Amino acid sequence: MELMSSGLQITLIIGSIVTLICVLYNVVRTKMDIKYAIIWVLLGLFILIIAVFPQLIKVASDALGILTASNMVFLLTIFLLYCLSFYTFLKMSKMQKDIKTLTYEVSLLKKNKDE
Amino acid sequence: MACTIKIGNILVKYTKMGGLYMRTLVIIPAYNEALNLPNLIKEIVNNGYEYLIINDCSSDNTVNVCKENSFNYLDLPINLGIAGVTNAGFMYAYDNKYDAAIVIDGDGQHPPKYVKTLLDKIDEGYDYVLGSRYIAEKKPFNMRMLGSRLLGLLIKIKTGKTISDPTSGMRALGKTVIMDFAQNMNFVAEPDALVHVLKRNYKFTEVAVKMEERSKGESYFKNPYKSIKYMIQEIISILFIQW
Repeated sequence: MELMSSGLQITLIIGSIVTLICVLYNVVRTKMDIKYAIIWVLLGLFILIIAVFPQLIKVASDALGILTASNMVFLLTIFLLYCLSFYTFLKMSKMQKDIKTLTYEVSLLKKNKDE
Repeated sequence: MACTIKIGNILVKYTKMGGLYMRTLVIIPAYNEALNLPNLIKEIVNNGYEYLIINDCSSDNTVNVCKENSFNYLDLPINLGIAGVTNAGFMYAYDNKYDAAIVIDGDGQHPPKYVKTLLDKIDEGYDYVLGSRYIAEKKPFNMRMLGSRLLGLLIKIKTGKTISDPTSGMRALGKTVIMDFAQNMNFVAEPDALVHVLKRNYKFTEVAVKMEERSKGESYFKNPYKSIKYMIQEIISILFIQW
């Protein structure tokens, strides 16, 4: 069975290449912190791979017993976004903690300076 | 030969290199290195260099050791990791207008006798000098060296230059690179920092050094998960992010 028309596939590939270039361009231009930049580059590459080899989705959906490939795509993207959002919450919580520590340190310095 | 001059209230120490007097700073990132630091600092002071220990929120008594021995140190209130710590060191070197900075691990892996070897090259006009373990001797074959070779290959593809020891943490920086690194350091670790340096046409060279086994404490790369993460981050950074 033909998975998708070659016209659609070409559109997807071009779209994902443009996405990857946009991500790379902005990540480098804005000097996004390297740890986060890497995650976005990896996601961009992932989209490109899926666009070039859509068979991968078919194989995965068959293996999991999912009826249509599009459902597999939905499952995958929702899960990825879920992970990404969890990761940002982890980082946010660490930053919150760091800010608390820093605030405490600064207040200590202020106290010592005033005395 | 060194001489000390008083500028305002600050005592400034100059080390004679070649014909010029240069102010150099030895940056020592330290995470749980209470046992290693005293010997290391003794050796560095005996050689007449200024140094700065940066304690990355150690869980042992590194801070107390620094206080008791009245070492020159920064005590970071939160753990930044090795990249953040070295960045802090470069900012300090830049703020205090040092002419050269050299990074040496606090764990005794980098013998201080090579400080001069690297600084001599800075004195010759190089901007970035890397201490390499594998100029004099061949790389052994193990998992770690496989990683080192892969990173070397990627650097070669990206910059066209051959680096014998891309993961070496022992490097000396001239004034221009100190400024660059203090202001916009955005690297995972040493290999992608190297790509940044090579892409900007700084004068770069490698010199042969011999490194010791860690005297005390444990290596970061004992954890396989961390090694894999490090490799993936390095590969992405070298190939896509450093231009």
